[in-house]
Amino acid sequence: MKANAKKIIGIVLVIVLIIALGALYFVFREKPVEGSKSITIEVINSKSESVVYELKTDAEFLRQAMEEAEGLTFNGSESEYGLMVNEVNGEIADFSVNGAYWSFNVNGTYCNYGIDTQPVLDGDAFSIVYTLG
Amino acid sequence: MNRKLKLTVRDVTLIGLMVAIIEVCKIALSGLPNIELTSFWVIMFTRYFKKRVLFVIPVFILIEGVMYGIHIWWIMYLYAWPLLALVAYLTRKSDSAVSLAIISGVFGLLFGLLCSIPYIFIGSVDGNIINGFRTAFAWWIAGIPWDLVHGIANFIIMLVLYHPINTVMKKTDKMIFSE
Repeated sequence: MKANAKKIIGIVLVIVLIIALGALYFVFREKPVEGSKSITIEVINSKSESVVYELKTDAEFLRQAMEEAEGLTFNGSESEYGLMVNEVNGEIADFSVNGAYWSFNVNGTYCNYGIDTQPVLDGDAFSIVYTLG
Repeated sequence: MNRKLKLTVRDVTLIGLMVAIIEVCKIALSGLPNIELTSFWVIMFTRYFKKRVLFVIPVFILIEGVMYGIHIWWIMYLYAWPLLALVAYLTRKSDSAVSLAIISGVFGLLFGLLCSIPYIFIGSVDGNIINGFRTAFAWWIAGIPWDLVHGIANFIIMLVLYHPINTVMKKTDKMIFSE
């Protein structure tokens, strides 16, 4: 009986130790650091509906920031200039059909670079606009 | 040499076999991170072969160093395994799989904490012991998920293997030492 009590205490101690270690890990583990740059990405679709994504990021270039923006989806074809985006949030802009394209702007000015090389600076406001040529 | 520590050819053979068993099991399970039979064997060998383990552990550690190179983990081995052997020796009269599973499990759970000790010194190179403790603490915390795997695996391994291996070792013990 006494030996059984010791075993039970031992097993309880092991369980307590497991829980304590788990708690220590969740409290003190290294947590992901929030990005240091605050930016916004606004998507304006063909119906002029706007969706704004606000995020904190360490991304150097726009493509990575777009990938980090929760809910923003995009697609396109890879080229020597990087990804040529033709689909944003499920809407395709097909230049060959109606001259439509996705226009990329930063702080109100047309982006000079493709999304793979467009730099991201703190406070930047990007907009991705469905544009008819 | 102290008369009590004097080794016979049979002892040397036995020590070689014990080290070989530990090494083979370690290599066989090397694909499963932190699941090992070394703790189990150190406990079992200490219970049956007592003083001979004083030679098994240094030889095992030396072979590990030769095979994988001398790094910080090697310094950790120098005190972690002898400590387990000491605990196993002090509790050698216990014949309960559950009690030994608790010992082996707690050793696995605290393995990271034990191994963090060298980092106190590494982190104190600038002369600030507080930084040393911080380094050791961060290192220990980062490895806790693997300590949990280690401890739980050690507990289960001892529970499952204790009775069959204990039966075989009792027979072996009689065969070797009853002559």
